[in-house]
Amino acid sequence: MQEKAFVSGYYLDDKDLVEGIRALQEKDIEIADVRTPFPVHGLDKVLKYRRSRLPRAGFVAGAFGAAIGFGFQAWVFTEAWPLNFGGKPFLSVPSFIPVTFELTVLMAAFALVFGFLISSKLGPGADNVIFDEEVTNDRFQILLEVSNGNSEQLQSELQSAGAEGVKHHDV
Amino acid sequence: MYKSFEFTKKIKSFLIATIVIGAVLAVAGIAMNLDHTHRIWANVLLNGFFFTAIAMSAAFFVIVHVLGESGWHTSVQRIPEAMAMYVPIGGVFMLLVLVGMHDIYHWSHTEHLDEILLGKSAYLNPMFFSIRTVAYIIIWSLLVIWFRKTSLKTDTDANIKLFNRQRGIAGIFIVIFAVTSSTSAWDWIMSIDAHWFSTLFGWYIFVSTFVSAVAVVILLLFVLRRMGYMEHINDEHLHDLGKYLFGFSIFWAYLWVSQYLLIWYSNIPEETIYYVKRIQDFEGLFYANVIINFLAPFLILMARGTKRKLNWLIAASIIVLLGHWVDMYLAIMPGAIGHPEFGILEIGMTVFVLGIFLFMFFRNFAKAPVVPENHPYFKESFDYDNIR
Amino acid sequence: MYVSPVREPLISGEKSYSKVTEDIYAPMTGKPGKLWFGGLTLALIALGFGLFSIFITVWDGIGTWGLDRTIGWGWGITNFVWWVGIGHAGTFISAILLLFRQKWRTSINRSAEAMTIFAVMCAGLFPLIHMGRLPLGFFIFPYPNTRDVWVNFNSPLLWDVFAISTYLTVSLLFWYMGLIPDIGTIRDRLKNGIQKKIYAFLSFGWTGSARHWARHESMSLILAGLAAPLVLSVHTIVSFDFATSVIPGWHTTIFPPYFVSGAVFSGFAMVLTLMIITRKAINLEDYITKAHLESMNKIIIATGSIVGIAYITELFIAWYSGVVYEQYAFVNRAFGPYWWAYWIMMTCNVITPQLFWIKKIRRSFAATFVISIFVNIGMWFERFVIIVTSLHRDFLPSSWSMYSPTWVEVGIYIGTFGLFFTLFFLFIRFFPVIAIAEVKSVLKTSSEKFIKKGK
Repeated sequence: MQEKAFVSGYYLDDKDLVEGIRALQEKDIEIADVRTPFPVHGLDKVLKYRRSRLPRAGFVAGAFGAAIGFGFQAWVFTEAWPLNFGGKPFLSVPSFIPVTFELTVLMAAFALVFGFLISSKLGPGADNVIFDEEVTNDRFQILLEVSNGNSEQLQSELQSAGAEGVKHHDV
Repeated sequence: MYKSFEFTKKIKSFLIATIVIGAVLAVAGIAMNLDHTHRIWANVLLNGFFFTAIAMSAAFFVIVHVLGESGWHTSVQRIPEAMAMYVPIGGVFMLLVLVGMHDIYHWSHTEHLDEILLGKSAYLNPMFFSIRTVAYIIIWSLLVIWFRKTSLKTDTDANIKLFNRQRGIAGIFIVIFAVTSSTSAWDWIMSIDAHWFSTLFGWYIFVSTFVSAVAVVILLLFVLRRMGYMEHINDEHLHDLGKYLFGFSIFWAYLWVSQYLLIWYSNIPEETIYYVKRIQDFEGLFYANVIINFLAPFLILMARGTKRKLNWLIAASIIVLLGHWVDMYLAIMPGAIGHPEFGILEIGMTVFVLGIFLFMFFRNFAKAPVVPENHPYFKESFDYDNIR
Repeated sequence: MYVSPVREPLISGEKSYSKVTEDIYAPMTGKPGKLWFGGLTLALIALGFGLFSIFITVWDGIGTWGLDRTIGWGWGITNFVWWVGIGHAGTFISAILLLFRQKWRTSINRSAEAMTIFAVMCAGLFPLIHMGRLPLGFFIFPYPNTRDVWVNFNSPLLWDVFAISTYLTVSLLFWYMGLIPDIGTIRDRLKNGIQKKIYAFLSFGWTGSARHWARHESMSLILAGLAAPLVLSVHTIVSFDFATSVIPGWHTTIFPPYFVSGAVFSGFAMVLTLMIITRKAINLEDYITKAHLESMNKIIIATGSIVGIAYITELFIAWYSGVVYEQYAFVNRAFGPYWWAYWIMMTCNVITPQLFWIKKIRRSFAATFVISIFVNIGMWFERFVIIVTSLHRDFLPSSWSMYSPTWVEVGIYIGTFGLFFTLFFLFIRFFPVIAIAEVKSVLKTSSEKFIKKGK
C-alpha cells in the first residue's frame, strides 16, 4: 500500500468554503477532494466537475429494459406459449405496454443505483478513509494531497484561504 | 426595468391581415361546402373549442401555481394571463356552434330519437344544452376577468391582502373549472358520438388542451423574445416550461393508453365502435396522433439540454400544438362528418380563429406590465437552479 | 437560492447544522421509552395473530375465508389495494415533490418512503396468500420450466406482479440511496463498537465527497423522474385488475387516474396520522411544522376532490350511458344491502377533506389527525364498495349473493397492521426519521433562525 498523506482544512459555512476554494484555485493549488455534510449548490461548477454520465447509463439501460420486456412478451405470446384470450391477436401490443414500462423503469433504476455506487466506489465493506468525523455533522472540508513533504506549506495555504482548523493526515 | 409591451400598428396590421386571410379562405371553404354544412359547423366547433379551451387551460396554469404557492412562474405568468382573456371571445364561437347544433349533434333531432338517445334526452336536448353552453361561457369569462383584475391591481397596490385574495379566487376558480371542464367536454365533444361514453373523457380532453396551452405559452414567449421583450427569462424558466411540456405530454399519452387499453381489452361493442370507426376511416391520423403527441415530445425533451434551449422547445411546441389540433379533430370529425376531410375550409377557419386568438393575446398583454413586480415571490424567480 | 421572507419558515427555533444532527439523532440514543416498547409489543402481538391466521389459511385452505361464488374477491383484495394506495404517498413526496422543488418535503420524505416500503410489503402479502398455495407462489414469475408454460402476460394480475415488484425494488433503492449520507452521519456520531461497525457497513463508506454528492443529486433527480411515472403506473395497473373486466362498476375508463389520486389521498392521510404522533413522541416538532401540515392538507383537498369528482362522473355517466346494468350497479351501491358501506365512503372521502378549505382546520394538528383517520377509513370502504358491491349483484339476479369476512380474513388484516407498525417502530429506533442532509441543505433559506457558526 502506497503511503499517502493529506492535509485537511475545514470551514463552518458553505459560502466560506466556496471562497476558500476560489482562493486556492487562484494559486493553482490542486484540490484532492471537498467533503460536505450536504450537497452545496454550485460546488460542482466551482470545482469544474464534468457532468455525470449516470443519466446516459440510465437511458441505455431503460431502452434495454424496454426492448427485453416487449421482445420477450412478444416471443412468449407468438412462439412459445400462444394463448387465445378473448380472441385478441397473439401480438397484442396494448397488453404488452404495462410490463414493458415496468421493466424499463426497473433496468434504468438498477443502472443508476449501481452506476452511482460503482463509480463512487461506495458499497458494503468499502473502506474509504474518514479524515474528520465532523464533516457529516457540520464541517465543510477541503483535502489537499501532500507531495514531496510540502505538508507545512499546504497547511499555511489553507489557513490563508480561511480554513477554521487545519490538520495533517497520514493514510 | 422590464420593457413594457407595446401593441404597435405593425403587429396589429399583421394580425388583422392574418384574420382577413383566414376569413377569406374560410368563406371560400364555406362556399365550396354549402351542401355539407355539417363539415362547416364541425370546424366552427373544432376551432371554437380548441382555442377557448387553451385559453382556459392557460388560466388554470396560473391558478394552479397560485394555489401551490409557487414563485418561479411569476416571470412568465403574464403570458398565460393574457391568453386567458380570449375566453369571452372564444365564447362567441361556442354560441355560433349553438346555431349549427343540428348539423353536429344527432341527439338534437328530437323527432328521430332512438331508445338510447331518448334515455339521455333529459340532459342532451337543445334547450338544456344551450343553457349550459351559455352558462359555461359566462361563468368562465367572469372568473377569468375577476382573476385578471386582481392580478393587475397588484401592480399599483402591493398590499399583501391582494395576493391572499388571489388565492381565494384561485380556489373558487379551480373547483368550478374542475367540474365544468369535464361537463363541457361531455356536452360539446363527447355527445357527438352520442351512443358512446367514457368516464375518462373529460380529463382526457382537459389534459390535451393543457399541454397545448403550455406549447402556446412557449411559442408566444419565443415571439415576444424576437420582438425584444421578456429578456429576463433565463434558462431555468425555459427548463421548467420544458418540463411541463415533457411531463404532461407523457401524462396525455398515459390517459390515451388508459382509455384505449380498457376499451380494447373488454371488447364491448358499444364502446369499441368509437375506436373501430377511427381506425377504419381515419387510420393514418389515428396512429399519427399517438406517435406525434407522445413520441416527439418524449424523445426531443428527455435530455436536460434540449429543455433549456428555446429552439428545441419551439420545435417540440409546434409539433405538440399541431398534434393536439389533430387530436381534437379526431375527437370531433368521425362522429360529425364520418370521413377525413381537409382543405381550404379547415385551413381558413383555423387561421381565422388563431388570428383572433393572437390578436386578443397581444392586445391584453399590452394592457399590463410584463411581470407582476410587486409579487412577494417575484425575486425567487431569478435565483433558483434546476440541478442536473 | 433566494427564498422570499414572506414565506413561512419550514424549521422553527434556532438551529445550526449540528443542532439538526443532534435533534434527529436523539431518538436513536439512550434507552427507548415505555411508549416505544408498548407500541412495539402491541404490533408484535398483532403480527403474531396475523401469522396464525395465515397459517390457518394455508393449512386448512382458502375455504376458511368468506369468499364464495360470486364474490371471489373480498377483504383480501380490498386490503391489497388499500395498502398499495397508502404506499403511494412516500414516492409522491420523494419523487414528485422533488421534481416540483418543494422544500417542505425534506422533513417528511424519509419516513414517508419507509412507510411506502412497509405498506407495499403488507400489500404484497395478499396476492400471495389469496392464491392459496403459498409455497408455489414463485409460479407467478416467468421462468423456463419443465411444465413448458409461461405466465399470461396479457393478464392484469400478472402486470401487477411486475408493477408491485418493480415498485418495491425501486422504492427500496430510492429510500436507501437517500439514507446513505445520513447513515454516514450516524456512523460518525458513534464511538467504536459493534454499533459503529454495523452503521459503517450500512453507510457503504460514505465520505461526503463533493463528487459523490454531485452524482448522488444527479441519480436522485433521475430516480425521481423514473419513480414519478412508476408510482402512477402501479396504481394504474392495480386499477386495471378491475377496469379490464366487463363488470358494471368495474369496467370504466376513469379508473386509472382516479385510483392514483385516491392512492395519494390515502397515503398522505397515513403520513399525517403517523407524523402527527411521531413528531410529538420523539420531539421533532421544530421540523414538522404547521407549514408542512398545511401543504400536506392542500394535497389532501386536491386529491380528495379529484376522487369526489370521479364519483360524480361515474354516477352521471352511468345514467348517461343508458346501460341498465351500470345504472343498477350504482343504485345498488347507494340503496342496496351494502348501503352503509357506500355512505361511510361518501362521508369520509367526499365531505371530510373539504373541511380543509377552512384555514383554521387546515392548520390544526388535532383536527388533521382525526380527519386523516377518517380519510383512511373512507378509502378502505371505497375499495370494499367497488369490489364487493359490484361482484355481489352483477348481470344475473339468480347469482346474486352476499359476502361477509371470517375471523381469518380479519386476522390477516390485523396482522398487516402488526407488520407495518413493527417495521415502523424499528425504523424510528434504528434509522434517522428525518433526512438530515436534506434538511441541512434548506436550513439557511427556510429556517426561522439560522445559527451561523464560525466567522
